[in-house]
Amino acid sequence: MSMRGSKLRNGTTRLVPYAFILPPMIYLMVFMFWPLARQMYMSLTNTRIINPNRGRFIGLGNYERLFEDPAFYLSLRATLVYAVLAVIFGVTLGVISALAIDRPFKGRTIVRAILLFGWAVPNVAASLIWLWMYNDRSGVFNRITEYLGIGRFGWLTSTDLALGAILAVTVWQVAPFVMLVVLAALQSVPHEVREAARIDGADGLNTFRAVTLPHIRPAVQLASLLVCVWSIRRFDIIYLLTGGGPVGTTSTLVVKIRQTAFEGHELGMASAYGAVGLVLALAIASVHYVVEQRRMKWMSR
Amino acid sequence: MSFNKLTLKFLRYLLIGVLVVLAGFPVYWMAATALSLNSELYGTGQVVWPQPQNFPELMLELGQVPIGLWLFNTLLIAAGGTVLSLTLGSLAGYALSRFRFHGKGVVGFLLFMTQVVPEALILVPLYAMFITFGLLNSLTGLVLANVGFSLPVACFVLKGAMDAVPYEIEESAIIDNCPRFSVLTMIILPLIMPSIAAAAVVAFFAGWNEFLFASTFLMDRGNWPASVGLASFVGQYETPMSAVMGAALVFSLPAIVFFLLIQRKIVAGLTAGAVKG
Repeated sequence: MSMRGSKLRNGTTRLVPYAFILPPMIYLMVFMFWPLARQMYMSLTNTRIINPNRGRFIGLGNYERLFEDPAFYLSLRATLVYAVLAVIFGVTLGVISALAIDRPFKGRTIVRAILLFGWAVPNVAASLIWLWMYNDRSGVFNRITEYLGIGRFGWLTSTDLALGAILAVTVWQVAPFVMLVVLAALQSVPHEVREAARIDGADGLNTFRAVTLPHIRPAVQLASLLVCVWSIRRFDIIYLLTGGGPVGTTSTLVVKIRQTAFEGHELGMASAYGAVGLVLALAIASVHYVVEQRRMKWMSR
Repeated sequence: MSFNKLTLKFLRYLLIGVLVVLAGFPVYWMAATALSLNSELYGTGQVVWPQPQNFPELMLELGQVPIGLWLFNTLLIAAGGTVLSLTLGSLAGYALSRFRFHGKGVVGFLLFMTQVVPEALILVPLYAMFITFGLLNSLTGLVLANVGFSLPVACFVLKGAMDAVPYEIEESAIIDNCPRFSVLTMIILPLIMPSIAAAAVVAFFAGWNEFLFASTFLMDRGNWPASVGLASFVGQYETPMSAVMGAALVFSLPAIVFFLLIQRKIVAGLTAGAVKG
């Protein structure tokens, strides 16, 4: 083969990877990152829904309004409280479930399947079920509380209960996922190590702390991050159960974005809410990134 | 067996029992409600046990809900999204698994980013874009929007599977000057069929369950997928609750079956993106 031929081949070989990576990346540029950039720009304009492709540049006007609006702080608070509590309750319940069904017992397969229901049911169907269970007059919860003689509750309409009611649905949905992640990690705990710890006289709790917990810690960390990110992203169940109410106690940032844009018709303002949401999501992602890097370093030592 | 051990065992089974009730009750209640009479639901009180004798009644009620059309639209959206995200995802997965190239780190970071960005953030710009290109109120537009989020997941799942395929398998084909694209489609993809199936299920049900984009972009009732159609029952009282729950059950069953079948694969896919991003 002539030298020219092999040179040419080398030249094209270097381009081969791009033939594979460019189509998907161009796709993401068009349908993900360009919209994201445009959203950041839109937050600096007074775009209205009547003509979404034309808006006047108004600088930081939307942000000035945003930071003066008590509804914004309410929304930010709802988002953070919701995400933190979803992580705490979802992860705790998920870890407990995983530990409970880790060792084999009769009927384990079917128990495991039932424990996964909340995760497998589509969000909209889950919202409908829980709406019905929370129903003021005929819902199962109020039937029970009435039977117990403590009367009815406005699960989704009382400012004290609504966030908790949403959280219950969320935990029902995310705990099974945490359970699966932790179960996978538990399988990597060598049985002999646990056995040895027990023979050495360690009781159940000590074995858990010294042997099991270090093994599942990375899995728990990862699950916590995912639950946190999903809580910030979650729209459907909150929108369908409370619509952000009562008095904004469950109006997380994503609910606020949709409402400001398509009920308030202010796309510029909605984008400003979106920018805050992006900062929040990126902050969590970078925390995860740093933790993950540190763990890699620690593991390679 | 000591007394202590016996109590522990009992407590463990008690705990499992409580967890089963907590996790299973909402789904049980959905089925029980679907099989109830409306006079019971709103009047005399719901019967706790399922009443299979009311099944014909439920079928009659379901006939008045356009659940068939909704599910058909859902099927189109889910299937379209699956094909598109698997095609693009396998290209990206192969590039990340087999090549070193400039910008690989950036690509990895961008793919990771898509898993963090809330869908609501690009809702407004996509809306504006779809108006310009006439994609508003069309299933095509909806699929294009959905795939932005399901493509990276498919990519992570497939890349992980490709990493496990030894390079020697494709080496001889490459030496024989076989085009790399054919190496991917003829050699690699047939070897990772189980992972392709898993990625397909994930992408399919991402489209199946999607609500935010669908409810914003599709105004025409005839285009509604089941998620939007079911959500339209919220706050309206003409449709009997048993029919609503029956429709929700029909909508949920495929998701439940497939999620349970490939649970481990799904978890591996969802976590891989967050770890290796």
